[in-house]
Amino acid sequence: MVYFILKRLVQSVFVMLAVAFLAFALFRFVGDPVSQMTGVETSVQDQEKLREELGLNDPFAVQFYRFTTDMLRGDFGFSYRTRQPVAQMISARIPATLELGFVALLISLIVGIPAGVYTALRPRGVTSQTILMVTLVGVSIPTFVIGIMLIFYFGVKLGWLPTFGRGGTVNVAGWETSFLTVEGWRSLILPALTLGVYQLTLTMRLVRAEMMEVMRSDYIRFATARGVPMGRLYFRHALSNTLVPVITIIGLQFGGVIAFSIVTESVFQWPGLGLLFLESIRFVDIPVMGVYLVVIALFFVIVNMVVDLLYVAIDPRLRVRDAT
Amino acid sequence: MRHRILRNTALASGAVIFAAFGAAAEPFKWASATDPQTMDPHAVSSAPVLSFLNNIYEGLVRRGKDMSIEPSLATSWVPLEGENGWRFTLREGVTFQDGSAFNAEDVMFSYERASSEASDVRSWFAPVTEVRVVDDYTIEFVTSAPNPLFPDSIANFMILDKGWAEANDAALPARDAENFATMNVNGTGPFMVSSRDPGVKTVLTPFGGWWDEATHNVTEATFTPIGNAATGLAALLSGEIDFISPIPLQDVAQVEGRDGFKVLEGEETRVIMFGFGHEHDKLLYSSDVTDKNPFADPKVRLAAAQALDMASIDRVLFRGKIEAASQLVPAGISGYSEANADRPAYDPEAAKALLAEAGYPDGFSFGLKCTNDRYINDEALCRAAASMFAAVGLNAELSTGPVRDYWPQLREDDFDMYLLGWSPGTFDMEHPVRFLLHTQDDEKKLGSWNFGNYSNPRVDELLPLVQQEIDPAQRQAYLDEIVQITQDDVAYIPLYTQPLIWAAKENIDLTQRADDFFMLRWVTVN
Repeated sequence: MVYFILKRLVQSVFVMLAVAFLAFALFRFVGDPVSQMTGVETSVQDQEKLREELGLNDPFAVQFYRFTTDMLRGDFGFSYRTRQPVAQMISARIPATLELGFVALLISLIVGIPAGVYTALRPRGVTSQTILMVTLVGVSIPTFVIGIMLIFYFGVKLGWLPTFGRGGTVNVAGWETSFLTVEGWRSLILPALTLGVYQLTLTMRLVRAEMMEVMRSDYIRFATARGVPMGRLYFRHALSNTLVPVITIIGLQFGGVIAFSIVTESVFQWPGLGLLFLESIRFVDIPVMGVYLVVIALFFVIVNMVVDLLYVAIDPRLRVRDAT
Repeated sequence: MRHRILRNTALASGAVIFAAFGAAAEPFKWASATDPQTMDPHAVSSAPVLSFLNNIYEGLVRRGKDMSIEPSLATSWVPLEGENGWRFTLREGVTFQDGSAFNAEDVMFSYERASSEASDVRSWFAPVTEVRVVDDYTIEFVTSAPNPLFPDSIANFMILDKGWAEANDAALPARDAENFATMNVNGTGPFMVSSRDPGVKTVLTPFGGWWDEATHNVTEATFTPIGNAATGLAALLSGEIDFISPIPLQDVAQVEGRDGFKVLEGEETRVIMFGFGHEHDKLLYSSDVTDKNPFADPKVRLAAAQALDMASIDRVLFRGKIEAASQLVPAGISGYSEANADRPAYDPEAAKALLAEAGYPDGFSFGLKCTNDRYINDEALCRAAASMFAAVGLNAELSTGPVRDYWPQLREDDFDMYLLGWSPGTFDMEHPVRFLLHTQDDEKKLGSWNFGNYSNPRVDELLPLVQQEIDPAQRQAYLDEIVQITQDDVAYIPLYTQPLIWAAKENIDLTQRADDFFMLRWVTVN
């Protein structure tokens, strides 16, 4: 197990290097940071001097080498936009994004799995058909439209929920959390729903398909014949056998939810990583963009590793193989 | 990462208690699209930073509601006798927000800081050769030539406390890495920062020890940047914020249609214009004329100007909210040439005739570069203009892109015609002459935004005369001549003055200043 984790971590270094390389190769097309950093009256010479100071005139290889070696030393550099240390900016935004992603995931599981089981067991029922239709609509509308619709209905028209930001947060050992205040939870509902709706649909449809497949298998038929109680049959025997593919997809999706919560965060002015990344693109804030992409790559690697570890926990056959 | 400025808290709570006894004192929440990048008034010369910090820091002079210059930390200023420059008499009894006293040493220190290599506002001090502290409340700025506009040009030069900056290792602006002044403030102005979370929220509280009499009734002001326009509108309409600037034109009807909200309309000083590649020897993006540059001929430039129907653009794209422009500054700005207030009339037939006369009876194609995220409706404007150009035979190949990519392209001469908006930083006609009309000259730092390098020796000759002329009538005569020449040359096609559109709750009174700065000291919550 330890060997497995170590191997994954070594792999992750290469993944991050590759991401950093690609990101760096793209940055030169994003725009000119210096013209974003200086006022209109700054002379061309002063701009050129700043460009030189920042090392933007150096060849690609030199810039990339400097970026990676600095990163390896733990020096993440300073933002071109705010002049703050990038490490501090990124770490300040991580809680917002993780909490949002976590609640979105929770919503998708709590609603998605039971709905998937239900629609699998009663595929032709009116309720099932309605659920399928509604979620299909939900997944076909772009995220930002869903977000804006939710904001205007629940925020502006009814006035029930806040339209932007995180509301009340509490700092627990350096982690700004929304979970400890009512205002924080109220602010979480709309963005988490917006972010979770795609996940929810995916989870539900996956559970449904797997469940229908399993329900046709021999062992379920034998179990039915043996008179295993329905609840136990569905949830113990059938559902748990559908979970391996479901966990794979959900796990991989969770990486995506975190990485690409950009749209949701922008619509709700949610101060997470995605919003920071958007602001950074607008200002051609190369240090922040670079570190963000590497952090997201690391995150993907970790999520994948956790998914692999969960397999072992869920599927006893893998545990046996690992022991030998 | 919530930085609290503890030192200010005692003063702040004093102010809050004081205000709590006032009958109509209120908290106030507002939003704008961009967070000020820094709290350091000399590190970044951008509108969001200068606008925000003008609530906290103050200069020797300040601008009133109508943009006029009025005393601030200086009570009066007179030209020096026997040499070029200005003597400022400073206000006595002013304290910084940390309680230390303000005097000429602080101005001297701030001058050195703001004119240092690391400063982004050092161009304001380019004419200054020497600064002398005469006594605690008198300071002299010596300039290389007579400089009647110097006091106007330093309205955004904000004064820091020398002791505070040095004690906190912030004696120089934070250019590459942050320093104490990036997150913390200590001004003499009406508000101080009680907490700041960059990109999320900044809370300001009134400074009880402000030298001037407060006319606002704000007890606490909370600023949130909201980048997404629809989110910002929703935040206003749901009542979570009291005021937002700006709102998109298409949302004006939404706000006006609701009870309890109002739209504030004004005119910015920014003039939107098209520029030409004057010195290019051929078109870069033409499919038919590839061996020469038709825009080098003033007739062709005039034809382009006559092809544009500003009335239709106003009606269709801007809901009647723009004012057509005849020159590079709008009417009302000092130096505006009343004598040259007419722009070329919309006349497609005359435009065609001019093109034929210039040797292009069938017109030609060229590349038009525009931003799509910099000015209000910029992309739509360029589409409309392209179709109007096409009607007279000027076939514009339009390419639009975000502003972060735009200036480098223009600097590399990668255009045939381009869109530009210009707001005169000094609120004087001299500013666009210096940056847009003077021949490019990197040595003298002139013409740095004159991308097409329009060049007229007479204009170059007139600029120093304008800069040094003390007599207003003579100065205006020089400026009139410049405007006349550049109109005859069609150096640019000035289009219109960009509107300022803000929205607020009905119970908020505020002042919309033409430089798009938002001053909390003019806010009343009813």
